[in-house]
Amino acid sequence: MTLRNKACVVGIGSTEFTRNAGRSEIHLAVDAITAACDDAGLEINQIDGMSSYGTAGIYAAEMAPDIDVARSMGIPNLKYMGQTPWGGGASCGTVAHAAMAVSSGVANYVVCYRSLKPASGTVRYGRPTAIPAEYRYSYYMPFGFASPTSWVAMFAKRWMHETGATREQLGQVALVQRENALRNPRAMFYGRPLTIEEYMFSPVASDPFTLHDTCLENDGSVALIVTTPERAMELKQKPAFVSGVGWGTSYDAHSMTSYYRKNIGLPECIEAGKDVFKMAQMTPKDIDVAQLYDAFTATVPMQLEAYGFCEYGEGGAFCEGGDRIRLGGELPVNTSGGQLSEAYIHGMNLIAEGVRQIRGTSTSQVDNAKNVLVTGGLGVPTSALILTKGD
Amino acid sequence: MSVEYNPKYMQHFYNPVWESFEDGYWEGIKQRKLVFQKCGECETFSHPPRVMCPNCKAQNWVWVESSGKGRVYSWTVLRQEVHPAFRVPFEVVLIEMDNEEGVRIVSNMVDCNPDEIDFDMPVELCFKEVTEEWALPFFKKVE
Ligand SMILES: [Zn+2]
Repeated sequence: MTLRNKACVVGIGSTEFTRNAGRSEIHLAVDAITAACDDAGLEINQIDGMSSYGTAGIYAAEMAPDIDVARSMGIPNLKYMGQTPWGGGASCGTVAHAAMAVSSGVANYVVCYRSLKPASGTVRYGRPTAIPAEYRYSYYMPFGFASPTSWVAMFAKRWMHETGATREQLGQVALVQRENALRNPRAMFYGRPLTIEEYMFSPVASDPFTLHDTCLENDGSVALIVTTPERAMELKQKPAFVSGVGWGTSYDAHSMTSYYRKNIGLPECIEAGKDVFKMAQMTPKDIDVAQLYDAFTATVPMQLEAYGFCEYGEGGAFCEGGDRIRLGGELPVNTSGGQLSEAYIHGMNLIAEGVRQIRGTSTSQVDNAKNVLVTGGLGVPTSALILTKGD
Repeated sequence: MSVEYNPKYMQHFYNPVWESFEDGYWEGIKQRKLVFQKCGECETFSHPPRVMCPNCKAQNWVWVESSGKGRVYSWTVLRQEVHPAFRVPFEVVLIEMDNEEGVRIVSNMVDCNPDEIDFDMPVELCFKEVTEEWALPFFKKVE
C-alpha cells in the first residue's frame, strides 16, 4: 500500500501577481480556482474537495476559508475539506492531503489553493501590531523578536558560522532566481535585472538578510486541481503524477523558533526528505529540477544539504558562482523566479512551476525534466512532493 | 545597546500569556528569577516549558533557578523597523546556558554594541524593568 502515483495534478491556475490586487482573498481564490478549472478542462461544479492553508496562529485573520470560496463559486457540495497547519510549511502538504482524499475515493476533484494579499491588505507579514494571545510568542515578542525575517536570520547566521557559507554565495541564489524571473512574464521582477553589486550593498533587514535575501510582498492566489490518474485521462492536460509526499516536524518543533535542538539545522526537512524519496523510490540524483522553498536565500543551500543533494556544510559551495543551480546546471532551482523574484504565494507558486516543468511549459524549461522535487516552508513543520510524468 | 522601547506602545507587547504548565516560569520572572524546568526523575532540563519530560515521560518537574551564565549561540541585528515599539537597530541573541544542559533562551543584550557580539561570547543574566509591572531577563557581557 502506497500513495505513489495514485493521484495527479491536472490543473494549475493563478491570478496576476501584483502590489495591489484590488479585491479580497476570497475573490482572488475564486479567480485562481476558475483559471485552474479552465486549464484542466473541468467544470467548476465538479470540484468536490478543498485543501487549503493559512498562516500559523499569528496571522490567523488572513485566510480565504473553503466554504466562503465554495459558496462564491456555487459549488454544490464539498465531500472533503482539509486544512494543513503552519503557514508555508503546509504548501506541499495540501497536495498530499488531496492525493489521499482522491485515491481513497473520499472525493474526486480536490482543489488546493492559497490566497493572500500582504502587499495591500490589513495583515502584513513581519509587522505585528501586538503580542498575539498565543502562549508561544511571549518568549519572543517582548524582545522585539517579531518578524519571520529575524526568526530565520537566527538560524541562518548560526548555519553560516558553522559551515563558512558566505554572503556572495547567498547572493548567487538571488541572482540565479532573478535570471529565471527575467524569462517569466508573470514574475513581479520581470524586466528587473539584479547585479551582485546591488545585492551586496542592499540595506540589511536583519543580518545576514538584506532586502534581496527576502521574498517578495505581493497579492495573489494560486490553485491546483488534484484527481486520480483514471480521471486525469479525460482531462485536457498531461498529468503531473504525485510520486512521493513527505511531512516532517522532527523533534521539539516550534513555529519558526525551533532553537532548542542540539543542532538548529533543518531536521524537519531531513524527515520530510527521507519519506518523499522513499515513496517515490528515488534518490536526490534522480531529481532533474527542484523548487525549494525560498522565503529567504539561505534556505536554498540549507535545503540542498537537508534533502541530500550535498553534505552538511557544502550547500554554500553548491551555490558558489551559481552555475550548478542555474538553467543548464546540475540542479536548476526555482525556475519561475521563486518567491524571491516571481511571487510570494506561500509556496503554492513553486508547486505550479513544478507542474509546468513536468508538462514542458516552463519559461525556464529544463530539457526532458522527468522528476521534480518541490518543498514547503521550513523553520516550521514542513512538507515535500516529488512530481513526475508517471511510470 | 539594548533594545529601546517606545513606551506609547508597550501595553501591546507586555501582556504575556502562558499555559498552565508554564506557571513556574512566569512566576519566576515576576520575582526576577530565571527558572527552568528540571525533571525530578531523570534531571533533563526543558525550555520553553513542557507538560511532560521528553526523556522519561514523567510529569514531575522542579523549577530550578538558573545560574544565569551562558554563551551566545547565535544572534541577529534588526535594522529594519518591525514595530514602532522597538527602535532599530537592536540585537536579539540566542543564549546557550552554561549550567543547564541543552537550554537556550532568546533575549536582548544590555550595554553592548552589536559589533561586540560574537559566537560563544560569555554573558550573564540581568533583569531590567520594561513596564511598571514587568521586568525581563536580559543578558550582559561578562567583563
Ligand atoms: Zn525525565
